[in-house]
Amino acid sequence: MTRVVVSGLGVVSPYGTGAKTFWTGLASGTCAIRPLTAIDTEGFRSRIGAEVPADVLASLGPSRRRARADRLAMAAAREALADADLSPTDRACAGLFVGAVGGGMLEAEAWYWEEARTGRPSPRIGALRAILPSTHAETLSFRLGLCGPKETVVMACASGAASLALGLDLIRSGAAPLALCGGVDALTRVCFMGFNALRLLDLEPCRPFDRDRKGMSIGEGAAFVVLEEAGHCLERGGRAYAELRGAGMTTDAHHVTSPEPSADGMVRAIEAALTAAGRAPGDVGYVNAHGTGTPQNDRVEALALARVFGPGRVLLSSTKSLVGHTMAAAGSLEAVASVLTLQHGLVPPTANLRVTDPDVPFDCVPETARAVELDAVLSNSFGFGGQNVSLVFGR
Amino acid sequence: MSASRRVVVTGMGSLSAGGIGGTAVVARILADAARPIGPVRAFETVGWPSRLGAEVDDAALEGLLDPAAARRLSRICRLTVAACRLAVEDAGVPRGPALGLVVGTEHGDFRSSEEFVTGYLKRGPSGLSPMIFPNTVMNSMAAVAAIEIGARGPSVTVNQATVAGDLAVARAAALVRDGRALAVVAGGVDEMLAHVYRRLSEMGMLSPAAGRGTEGCRPYEPDHNGVVLGEGATFVVLEDLDSARARGAVIHAEIRSAAWGNVPVAPHTAPRRRRDLHSPALRALVSAGGTPSGVGTCYGSGNGDPALDDWELGLLAADRLPAPRSLASRFGQHGGLGALRVAAAALDGLDKVAPSATTLVMVHGLARGGCRTALLIDRAA
Repeated sequence: MTRVVVSGLGVVSPYGTGAKTFWTGLASGTCAIRPLTAIDTEGFRSRIGAEVPADVLASLGPSRRRARADRLAMAAAREALADADLSPTDRACAGLFVGAVGGGMLEAEAWYWEEARTGRPSPRIGALRAILPSTHAETLSFRLGLCGPKETVVMACASGAASLALGLDLIRSGAAPLALCGGVDALTRVCFMGFNALRLLDLEPCRPFDRDRKGMSIGEGAAFVVLEEAGHCLERGGRAYAELRGAGMTTDAHHVTSPEPSADGMVRAIEAALTAAGRAPGDVGYVNAHGTGTPQNDRVEALALARVFGPGRVLLSSTKSLVGHTMAAAGSLEAVASVLTLQHGLVPPTANLRVTDPDVPFDCVPETARAVELDAVLSNSFGFGGQNVSLVFGR
Repeated sequence: MSASRRVVVTGMGSLSAGGIGGTAVVARILADAARPIGPVRAFETVGWPSRLGAEVDDAALEGLLDPAAARRLSRICRLTVAACRLAVEDAGVPRGPALGLVVGTEHGDFRSSEEFVTGYLKRGPSGLSPMIFPNTVMNSMAAVAAIEIGARGPSVTVNQATVAGDLAVARAAALVRDGRALAVVAGGVDEMLAHVYRRLSEMGMLSPAAGRGTEGCRPYEPDHNGVVLGEGATFVVLEDLDSARARGAVIHAEIRSAAWGNVPVAPHTAPRRRRDLHSPALRALVSAGGTPSGVGTCYGSGNGDPALDDWELGLLAADRLPAPRSLASRFGQHGGLGALRVAAAALDGLDKVAPSATTLVMVHGLARGGCRTALLIDRAA
């Protein structure tokens, strides 16, 4: 089996730019969920979220005319490629897998709002050119000189993780020695309004796995990793942060928005990832959970983990309690968090967790990060449409 | 993953302006010379630069679905569910964890996004429908189709202009070859919407671009002057050869190889003279142990967009591949067209190509922005 390593990291998160900034925020347990400013929240139940600060966004080049999501993606992708120290020749053979949902919807909404309210054509119509999620991949591949296979994967909140799973397959198939993989989503009015309409947003910062949790908090960001065939990385003198050992992808085929109550789809994804990684459940010391903070999701995920690992047999925590649910970016942000957890031997905490739900029979690392030596980490991502993706990283 | 896995086509289902059905109907539609492009009926086009389209017959679509279930689905979800069900019934492939699904789309469910936002603009937060919101996510079609056909393996939605269906079939072939599923239902879907149609028309993307010449879809022709939009859903069932044989499936053709890549050009552009140093068409041939001279027929993604048509012709000529045929002039440009080309290639392999050294069929795709796909299809394994 071809070994695939993570050789570059790039992040733009509600903490700011850079994988180091991201890790510092996670390790300190700083919750970045605050009142939203990027969109009008007047009249909605929940009015908070985790957004990339305006001054950070303003610092992102190269063009302020580009869609917010494109700018997030470009900054994170550039960092990952620079971190991996790839030559132009290496870039030319790199694949590109982008997990995306909202595309340039934020700017298109502004256009649509204006035309609908005024009844007149809006000069913002140029926003339509960037509305499709696939625009991110077009922009990145052009600006960064990537000539390998290019895909835009839309798998709801599992999109970012799926981009890594498909990149892993690509490299193992021999079609390319490396790939830039990750996810991006900017805040959009449609997303904010939709989760409000579904009453899935907590009025306060989300509390995954807490007995009194009331829902999620939305967020935005981008994270990319360079996946590389281990021999290729070694040969060019690259650095391997961790190994992506296996990935599992399944579908519930049960309900569009609710997870299968038996957790069967999640269990199959986790077991497939472990099997592909050649690891037993006992080898995994920590799970970076999907952990949205909705009563139903956390309960079913805990059931899945209990079925695979046994109650209390593994540590888990939720990155979303710190940086919100960044939608298509979540799976790749959490992949980066998992890699850095392995590297630092430090498990980031679950913020805002006061009393663990009795239906969650695990140590969820409340409030404070914990030093633990780990050999393998599991990262879970689940999404609307019953999409389940699990990734296993090893040292 | 196993290098020994071979991928075959065991079924298909299609809803297009040409007709609705499984393999037998698709074969008949493809053999028919009819061109179902005509004036758009679903919405008014008076005063717009374009007026032609290739529409699916809604009455026939409704006949395929249970009325109660159909009421809960958006129109594009109904198209997807119906086509996937036709394909699965055609192949007789079993439901379960070994069955995957890949849906390609260019525009997704814009109709639901517009409906959701309109509720807010008319009535504020109280006008927002929690039932419609999930449809605004582009994987909603895959979500409902997976439930309908019992696909509990990987379910992937790919977003891509022009070659969404081609890319979906290539992705599905990789899922089977990599061992992630024994069978995958793969194809594409798009629907015609007034808002999208009007904007594309005003931006000069649809024929007759900027009013130059007669409106119509004429891929690769000297007087091509823009795209004519179509709509519909076409899905094929790809399956591991051993698995298909074990269950006694009818095997229409083999996907010998699938490759895709990227020519790094600016978003939405199609620079006619730009060449591809990493041609997926040549990579697909190498992977299958073939040569350009072994390709008897090539289906291309030409859709009447002058720059894109010319660019594709140039790339194929550089790879020494045969001049392409297009199906866009018959069914209009939409996300299902790539899978319809795969279906056509599979049926060519069965019935129409005389046995010779040149039995390989290339399904080639190229989109503005540089996404390029190549599927190499052979007669029945």
